[in-house]
Amino acid sequence: MIKKIAFFTLAVCISLLGATYRWADSAHSIGLIKASGGEARHPSSVESGKTTYTLISTATVMPPYHGDARVVLEGDPEMDYRIYSSDPVIDFGIRRHPRFRDNILYDLQPKDRIALWVVMKPPVLDPVCGMAYQEGFTKHNSNGKDYFFCSVECREKFIANPWIYRGREYVRGKYTLAFYDTKTEKPVLRVPLIFTGKGEMKDAGEHHH
Amino acid sequence: MPANTTTKKSFLVRYRYWIMLFAALLFLPPLSFLFQFTADSNFCGSWCPRMFFSWRKGMTGGEYLFGFLRSYMGVALVFGILGSTFFFGRYWCSHLCPIGGTMEGGSRILPKFLKINYSGIPASSFRYGYFAVFLIAPAVGLGSLCCNYCNFATVPRIVGAAFSPGDMAYFLRTAGLINLGLVVGLGFIAKGGRAYCNLLCPIGALDALSNRLGLRFGKRISVDGARCNGCNACAKVCPTWSIEMKEKKAEIDQLSCMPCGECEKVCTKEAIHYGKLAR
Repeated sequence: MIKKIAFFTLAVCISLLGATYRWADSAHSIGLIKASGGEARHPSSVESGKTTYTLISTATVMPPYHGDARVVLEGDPEMDYRIYSSDPVIDFGIRRHPRFRDNILYDLQPKDRIALWVVMKPPVLDPVCGMAYQEGFTKHNSNGKDYFFCSVECREKFIANPWIYRGREYVRGKYTLAFYDTKTEKPVLRVPLIFTGKGEMKDAGEHHH
Repeated sequence: MPANTTTKKSFLVRYRYWIMLFAALLFLPPLSFLFQFTADSNFCGSWCPRMFFSWRKGMTGGEYLFGFLRSYMGVALVFGILGSTFFFGRYWCSHLCPIGGTMEGGSRILPKFLKINYSGIPASSFRYGYFAVFLIAPAVGLGSLCCNYCNFATVPRIVGAAFSPGDMAYFLRTAGLINLGLVVGLGFIAKGGRAYCNLLCPIGALDALSNRLGLRFGKRISVDGARCNGCNACAKVCPTWSIEMKEKKAEIDQLSCMPCGECEKVCTKEAIHYGKLAR
């Protein structure tokens, strides 16, 4: 009996940890695609400082909208990203569903549900001026970590006061996964994704559903 | 292990692996055949069998019911499973579940020395500890286990990753890798391949209750105490470690048993049968 209680308690503790802890490199957003601009349920957030992030963007098409939508990740500085759709490997053509090719969702119809996986690789920034890494940047090693600078001035500012700039080499702030109708070029959904600093993520436990 | 070859076993016992393989082919990539009837490609969407019954804090009754509508195939699946289990035992789990089947099949292919034996864990206690948090955590706003930790999302994508970068993307994040670890650790390299099913599957937790509640009305695997000689052969092969020797007789825990018939196959005394339990 004691063993059973102990394992029940252990399961509760592990599961509580699992339910409350939020992995900082991925987020899930739920949205409604509408002709009037669409709705995302809440801004998703991830913690800056990782090399790769994933945004899972699911959305339902609300009537009367129908059409094709181009999907773009917007934000400054520009980020390297790839978008994938969860489509069957072998399509038997049993039911019509939207197709995703070259970042465009073709043939969206009312009540369609889409699920996109956006894999993002943010650039490394010059921690002083915030410029995204380009060829020709100079490297400086501080406390075993490499930093990259656009100019000698930035590097010297950093060397003089490194504690001010540390952490600023990572992308921060708001990005948007935007869906534009290809005919009107008007947005039909905008999903905000916020890159926060360490410990600033508020929504522990994803509001998934 | 001496196999019991005295009597011919039922079709469902003899061809269980083939049925599991057939079910996996129907549900999993590259065919994902059944999902295509509802314009889906996997369990995530209208086939989700887990999210609809989870109540989130702040949800209105209408939103809760809308979840049932959104996952209508998942709802049908779960109620179908619970109903069939009540009368016939957990055939979904033992024969049809493409997730449990894939994990068990994978475990059977892998060599013995890789396997972890979880039979020391009292399965029901752990399972309902997990299930309690599965239900309560979202209801009080602490967070959610469903979606974040889900083998119904993971296993199809492990298979699909070989064909589709969309499925591969699932694993390019910490949560994906944790899920992969759980499926491998509690499935593919678990002795019997069913530790995930037995400890962490919410459908399994509900199904086990239906199995237990329908005991008086339905058919189950049972042990004939007069024939059992307590050799322990059945307990050794049980993938859900639901057989225990009590006073040198095998006893089945109906909260964990599924009618896979592995025990029936090895019982040289013909003491294990599937049928209505003697009252």
